[in-house]
Amino acid sequence: MHRLERLINLVAALLHADRPLTAEELRARLPGYAEDKAAFRRAFERDKEALRDLGIPVVMEPVDEARDPGVMGYRIPKESYYLQDPGLAPDELAALHLAASAVRLEGASGVEALWKLGGEVAEEGPAPAVAALPGTAHLAPLFAAISARHPVTFGYRGRPRRVDPWRLSFRNGHWYLAGHDHDAGEERVYRLDRIESDVAAAGADATFDRPPPGDPLLPPPWELGSEEPLAARLLVDPGQAGWAASHVGPDAVEERRPDGSVVLAVRVTNRDAFRSFVLGFLDHAEVLGPAELRSELIEWLEALCPG
Amino acid sequence: MPRVSADDRLGRLLAVIPWVAGRDGPRLDEVGARFGYKEAELVDDLELLFLCGLHPYTPDVLIDVDIADGRVWIRYADYFSRPLRLTPAEGLALLAAGRTVLAASGGDDDGPLARGLDKLAAAMGVDATETVEIELGPVAEDLLGTLRAAAAGHRQVEIDYYSFGRDQRARRVIDPYAVFSAGGQWYVAGWCHRVDDERLFRVDRISTATLLDTAFDPPASPPELAAYRPDPGDRRVTLELAPSARWVVEQYPVEQVEELDGGRVRVTLAASQPAWLERLLLRLGPAVTVVGGDDGLACGAARRVLARYQG
Repeated sequence: MHRLERLINLVAALLHADRPLTAEELRARLPGYAEDKAAFRRAFERDKEALRDLGIPVVMEPVDEARDPGVMGYRIPKESYYLQDPGLAPDELAALHLAASAVRLEGASGVEALWKLGGEVAEEGPAPAVAALPGTAHLAPLFAAISARHPVTFGYRGRPRRVDPWRLSFRNGHWYLAGHDHDAGEERVYRLDRIESDVAAAGADATFDRPPPGDPLLPPPWELGSEEPLAARLLVDPGQAGWAASHVGPDAVEERRPDGSVVLAVRVTNRDAFRSFVLGFLDHAEVLGPAELRSELIEWLEALCPG
Repeated sequence: MPRVSADDRLGRLLAVIPWVAGRDGPRLDEVGARFGYKEAELVDDLELLFLCGLHPYTPDVLIDVDIADGRVWIRYADYFSRPLRLTPAEGLALLAAGRTVLAASGGDDDGPLARGLDKLAAAMGVDATETVEIELGPVAEDLLGTLRAAAAGHRQVEIDYYSFGRDQRARRVIDPYAVFSAGGQWYVAGWCHRVDDERLFRVDRISTATLLDTAFDPPASPPELAAYRPDPGDRRVTLELAPSARWVVEQYPVEQVEELDGGRVRVTLAASQPAWLERLLLRLGPAVTVVGGDDGLACGAARRVLARYQG
């Protein structure tokens, strides 16, 4: 018997059952499982794993606590198996399909999702590629936690964190998570590639409300911190002035000098991030003030020349 | 033909069953096109389904599959009447793709894509605009427009380009093959007539772009959406990174990674352009040591920057 046939029958049996079925019942009812107990166990474990990998929710529950205490069985709850039909119009499904083929999110594919939504719709020729986004293993568990509204735990900058996850943002080539940090007692932003452990679910569903985003976009990296704010001024040479000004936005341009250089005025609450930004210009930029930031930068650079 | 595993076939078949069961005999070729099947593979899967159903697997509880005149009917599979819900990874892939296209195109909030995303997100219990935000890199809209028009119409453009890696500015005539965003930056890939070779340009480093009247022949295959492709001939550098600089492994195309004691890691990467490496070394500071390659690079770059702060 083909394994696919056995898997289909297993899903059908678990989905149709009005009470949890024990492993022994499944072995007896489903064709294709070995008589031998050990061989059956191995095959059954592998099948359950395959179903879970596809996102099929196989749960283990007591069969009948009153009559058979301690006897456990399996079922697939209908309410968590079935797709809630989003009711997409044909043009909406076509637009989603076009988007999925124009954007590549590393490590993820929209194809399976499109099958579930009714398959791929015919289109004229290949879609022009628009964008490639990096992926990380943390995206899926974080998005699951955002939609189910349950807290998560993970290691970040050497400390374990417990966070109510609100939002994922892609900015400057990085994925960020915004959420409520339980220990800090306030909103924090984390860069996903700096998360140092697996992201683990840590609490019941629907335990918090997501506030609407206050600021439509994340602040620049040098504002992602809680250090004493400093008003920094940065001179950028003519060659890089245009790029720098468009990067920080027109509001941050304090002065445009006749030679084409610009002076940027920004608020800094994360000095490490600001130093990284400044050093990206190599010797084409200079911190004008405050003196404190200037001397910190000089010290940092001098430490790179030993002796 | 690549062999598709039973597990992959299961996921697809569980999507096909409700779609076919909900219709009156769709054509096999339509089912094949929608779900990415060759007709023979589809018939294989459907014939296997014919043997599936519920205990005790007598004809009255088997799934009924009819294939006739190039059409297919599936009946008595009520428990498969609706597709499986989306996994978080699948849902996010679609939402992120849709939000990316909206961000790239300036966003039509009332168009079919935005409407589809809203419905999809609502079915997953989230709000599309509030839970996934995408920003593709700050560039001037008119510049991007000019480059896209040139790529679409196969017209040459003249650009004034600042090479970040070489720290030089120059005018170049290019044949723009494709305009795309990768890793949070916009790029134009194309043929550069100044160096007579294919090159990748970052759009935010182009200060002006002028559409020329000259047409070009587009390449047979579109360029890959990669921001940086190391060349076998590029110079290699080996770095030792402190735990605080481990993110470099994720962010840069490292070719060798070796774990050391205390969470330190040794990596080798291609560094064709000195300015690029200088920036990395200056930013990482004490968290990095050059162990293979020019170990005076960081100090040399630091001295050039320091010169601005003296006097």
